[in-house]
Formats: sequence, structure tokens, C-alpha cells
Amino acid sequence: MAAYRSRSARAKGFSLSGPSTPLPELVRGLWDARDLLALLSRKEFFVRYRRASFGVLWAVVLPLLQAIVLAVVVNRFVRFDTGGNFTLFVFAGTLAWSFFSQTISGGTTSIVDNADMSAKIYVPRALFPLVVVGAGLYGLLISTLILIAFVIGAGELEPVRLLLIVPAIAVLVVLSTAAALLLSALHVYFRDMKYLVAAALLPWFYLTPVFYPLDRIGSLHGVVEANPVTGAVELLRAATIGADHGWAVALWWTAGWTVALFALAAVVHRRHDRNMSDLL
Amino acid sequence: MTETPVIDVCAVGKRYVKYEDTPTLVGHALRLRSRSRRSALWALRDANLRVERGECIGVIGRNGSGKSTLLRLLAGVTAPTEGTVTVCGQVAPLIAVGVGFHPELTGRENVYVSGSILGLTRRQVDERFDEIIDFAEIEGFIDTPVKFYSSGMYVRLGFAVSVLADPDVLLVDEVLAVGDLAFQMKCFDRMQAVREAGTTIVVVSHNLNAIRRLCDRSAVLHAGEVRFDGDTGEAIARFHELLGETRELDGDTGRDVFRSTGAARLSRFALVAAHDGDAQSTVPTGTLVRFEADLECILDMAAPYLALHVFHESGVLVYGETVPVDGGMRAGEHRHVEVDLPAALAGGSYSAELLLVGLDATLHAAPPSPILFYVAGRDGVRGVTDLHASFRLRPR
Repeated sequence: MAAYRSRSARAKGFSLSGPSTPLPELVRGLWDARDLLALLSRKEFFVRYRRASFGVLWAVVLPLLQAIVLAVVVNRFVRFDTGGNFTLFVFAGTLAWSFFSQTISGGTTSIVDNADMSAKIYVPRALFPLVVVGAGLYGLLISTLILIAFVIGAGELEPVRLLLIVPAIAVLVVLSTAAALLLSALHVYFRDMKYLVAAALLPWFYLTPVFYPLDRIGSLHGVVEANPVTGAVELLRAATIGADHGWAVALWWTAGWTVALFALAAVVHRRHDRNMSDLL
Repeated sequence: MTETPVIDVCAVGKRYVKYEDTPTLVGHALRLRSRSRRSALWALRDANLRVERGECIGVIGRNGSGKSTLLRLLAGVTAPTEGTVTVCGQVAPLIAVGVGFHPELTGRENVYVSGSILGLTRRQVDERFDEIIDFAEIEGFIDTPVKFYSSGMYVRLGFAVSVLADPDVLLVDEVLAVGDLAFQMKCFDRMQAVREAGTTIVVVSHNLNAIRRLCDRSAVLHAGEVRFDGDTGEAIARFHELLGETRELDGDTGRDVFRSTGAARLSRFALVAAHDGDAQSTVPTGTLVRFEADLECILDMAAPYLALHVFHESGVLVYGETVPVDGGMRAGEHRHVEVDLPAALAGGSYSAELLLVGLDATLHAAPPSPILFYVAGRDGVRGVTDLHASFRLRPR
């Protein structure tokens, strides 16, 4: 046994009094658990496709199918002047939207879903929504690669413009993370949250410029512009076939939302992190 | 210089709000909170406990006495409402082993995930992987998803990971109730070894024999308070006294009333010392004890029988005897029942019940609850009875 006495790098020990956890301690706890986060994210993603014959291929096929079906259907009713390949236009939108919607719906229930583990051993509860984000990153990476392949295939490749894909994905991921962190903690206390999110996602989808340009929405323009996801969608579109008019304002909104969501999430987690298991 | 304790629980209280009073979204928004002070429940109050490195402490108490709350606080999964809980080092809970096991993942993958949860790096898990698999006795199944594991395999693997994670503090909650006897023995040995290597162990169990075997020191929790902290033998005696007290407070719980015919009533069931008639809950082995009760006959019974059963804490019926009540009983008749019994029992917890039954084993009457008592045994005696063997070593 003595051979094992070299211990892990994880922070050891704690001293608890009172309900709230100082923010630096929470962040340090999450940082110390980064290996665990990576491990759980990887498992979470691969377990999903484990028993399927086509395995991870589904992660490639599904987002592609979604974009193509949407592009074909919409095209039968309206013709938007998107100044480029319409399928590509829609693909950039669905990619961002699917990641966001999957992350917040999975993220919302994540702490409650892991109640079993939370009740037995302590890790900062914020780890669970982060695992949902982490697992989603695999799918996002695959989708992004397909998107790039599409851009090249459609002859829309402009290398400098395509570099924007890095900040675009970053904005999308950071926004989704902030939302998932906040919603997951709220769901512990208010179990309606899961249904509210499910109900909100449908109108939210139509208020996000996934299959129409930002400037073609008429009177709802203000709402769509203030929608936090719009900025991420537009930035991704800017990277592929060029953005819609007035996308910069939407991006500011996204930035504002992200900061606000992170701040709220920090307040809730700081105050309730240690006591969430009392309600699980 | 005194070493700082590994576990320091200082004036700790934990209050829970009853589940039905936890706020819902609408209730919260409308401030419809009916959360008055009445709905708050102190699961633990003013608890103090200091445990040094390498100590093994038992925690005993009835259901709802605050044992689980204490373990949750020590695991750090919940914060105290008042006071401070300090734990130095990595805590590994054996509370329901197999925490974080994913059913779709194989045993091998789960070992890595659990190890990581317990604070081990990948390399550290690599180092002890073989030992874990060997200890868990699942060589042939490491690459099978754990959802196909038998419950025994599942638990063994969980135990192996927790113990071999080499924590500073090991929290053990009823883990010894699982696995077959051979594996339990192995767990005991392993826990001894871990303890000698400097790990502090906290054991919560209803199995007082396990506590006695593992821990020199025990704390008795009762109604959220630490009522006793010290030698395990004394703790067990104190625990049984408390059991007796609460039963008197609880009064009639109506046990068995529903399945009895109601033809008679047994009340004031008590255990007293035969020589002076004083009520007792701790019985020195080899002494004569007396069970007494009042028997009230409600309907005529042609051939009733009185039965006394004595059970060991493991559920084994140690002794049972049924005797006919000569001449039957008439409605309205009152009798006082006395049963003298030599307590030829080994140290441990026992329960006794007195029944009035009919010919075809129909139950006529039973006291509201059985009597629980603790036998202070002789050193070196194990099992359920003390038959006073005599050992002789003669020169040949």
C-alpha cells in the first residue's frame, strides 16, 4: 500500500460553515476536476452511440439531414435572397441552433439527473452542465467539419472569412455554457424549469434566423435581434457565406446576454452549490 | 505537540425544510411560502466530534437519528446550517458503493471514471488497476458493461475502487450488509490494512457486531444529538438504553394488531432482572432474566398457547418455546405472565417477543413491539449462545 502514498493533484480536504461557497473556491474545484470533466464528457458522447450499428456516424448524418430537409421545405414556400447557397445558409443556422438547444435542454436537467452521484460525493455541481457542454462539443466538432467541407464543395471558400469560424464557435459555446449553468441550478429548485425550457425552445427556434435572413423578419426584427442566439448564428454565417445586414447589433446583444447569464449563474451556484443535494 | 484531527465537527447543526414545503416556481413568485418554523427539521444539532488520523469510529443510532446527515456532511455533499465541519484530506465514500457507475460502460471504463471521481489521476488508476480487478474478483468480466453484472459483482467492484483509491478518510455506510461471507471477511481485512496505513474510517451500521469488530470508539446519535462518544462496548449499551426509552415514549404502535384475531390483549411487556424485578436493557450474560406482561382476555379461547421467541440481531431465531395455557381462558379474565429465562447468550443485540396463539397458529395477541436488549458477553465468546465450554490443557 505504501507505494500508493503519492496522492493526486486534486485539492484535498475542506472546511464548511454556512451555506455559500466562495466563488474562487468553486472555480478552483472545477479546475481541479478538469480531468474528470474531460473523461465524463467523452464517455457521455460515446455511450450515446454505443449500441447503434452505425455508431458515431449518426452524429454526422443527423445534423446534415436536418439542414437539408429544412432547406428543401422552406425553399418550396419562400425564396429568400441569401446571396449564396441556401442549403449552406440553413446549415450554418441549424448547426448553431442544434448545439444551443441540445445544450440547454440537456444542461437544465443535468444536476438533477446526476442526483445519485451528487448525494454521495462532492464535486462542484456546475460540473454536470459542463459535462453536457463537453459531450456536445464532439458533435459540434463533427458538424463544423462537415460545414467546412460543404463550404469548400459549394465553391464558397474564402480562407480569411472562414477563419471567423473560430470566434463563431467560441461565442456559441460560451453562450450555451452560461445558459446551461444557470438553468441547471434553477431546475434543482424549480422543477418546472425543464418544461419551461421545452416550451420556450419551439417559439425560440422561429425567432432565431435559422432559415431566414435577419433583415427579412419585419416587425419582429427587434425581438430577433435581441435574441442571444442570433449573434452566434450570424457570426457563424459570416464565416461561411457572409452575414446578413445588421448582424453586428445582434452580436452585441449576445455578448450582453452571455455576461448577464454568467453573472446570474455565478450568484446561484455560489449561494446554493453545497446545498443542492438537500433537494435532490 | 498535538496533531490536528482529520475530522473536526464543531457545534454543527443541519436543518432541513420538509419536502412538501420546498418552494415551487409559482409559490416562490407569489411568495406563497408557507415555510413557517414548524416545517423546519433539525436533523443534527450541536454535534461535536473529533477524529484523529488512523482512528476507526463507529456511528450508531436508530433510523432518523442523524447518522446519514452526519455522513453527508463529512462527505462534503452538503453544508452545515450552523457550526463548522473540517475534513483534512481526500474523502472516499463507501456510501452505496458503485457511485457514478454508468450502466453502459464496461467495468474497466467505470474503474477509470470512479477513480477520477475519487481524485485519482489516470496514471494512479493504471498503477492499481490489476489490484482492483483482482480484489473485486471479476477478471472475466472487466470488458462487459456493468449493467450485465450481478449485484454482487457491482458492489465488489465499487468497494475495490473506493478502498484502493487510498483515501485519507473512508466513509462506510452499511456496506458490510452486501456480498457473500467470504467477501465480507476480505473487506474487513482490507479495512484493517487501510487503517493501519493511516486512513481514518467512519463506519455507520446497524450491524453492531461489525461495529464492535472494527471500531474501538463509537458515537451514539439520538434525535439529532451526539448522546455518547467513547468506548464501543459502552456505546452499544447506551444505545440499547435509548431504544428502551423511546419505545416507552412511542407507546402503542399497533404492530400486529391488524393480523391478530383480537381475542386477547398483551400489554406492558417488559424485561426485568429476575432477582430484583428492575427493568433493564443490558443483560450480563448468564444471569436470569424475566419477561413479564399483562394478558387480558376479550373472547373465550378454548386452547390458547403462550409463545416466547428470542431473535439474534442477525435475524436468527435463537430460542423459541410454545406452551399451552391449561384450561383455556374466559372472556374478561386478566392474567399476569412471567417467563424466566437464563440468558445463556453471547454478547450482542437480541429481541424477544411474546405471543398468544391458537391451535392452528392463529395469532390472538402480541405486545405493541418486541423488546430489544443487549447482552454484555464474556470476552472470547462468539456466536449467538454462550454454552460455557470448559477448556483444559493437561500435560501428557
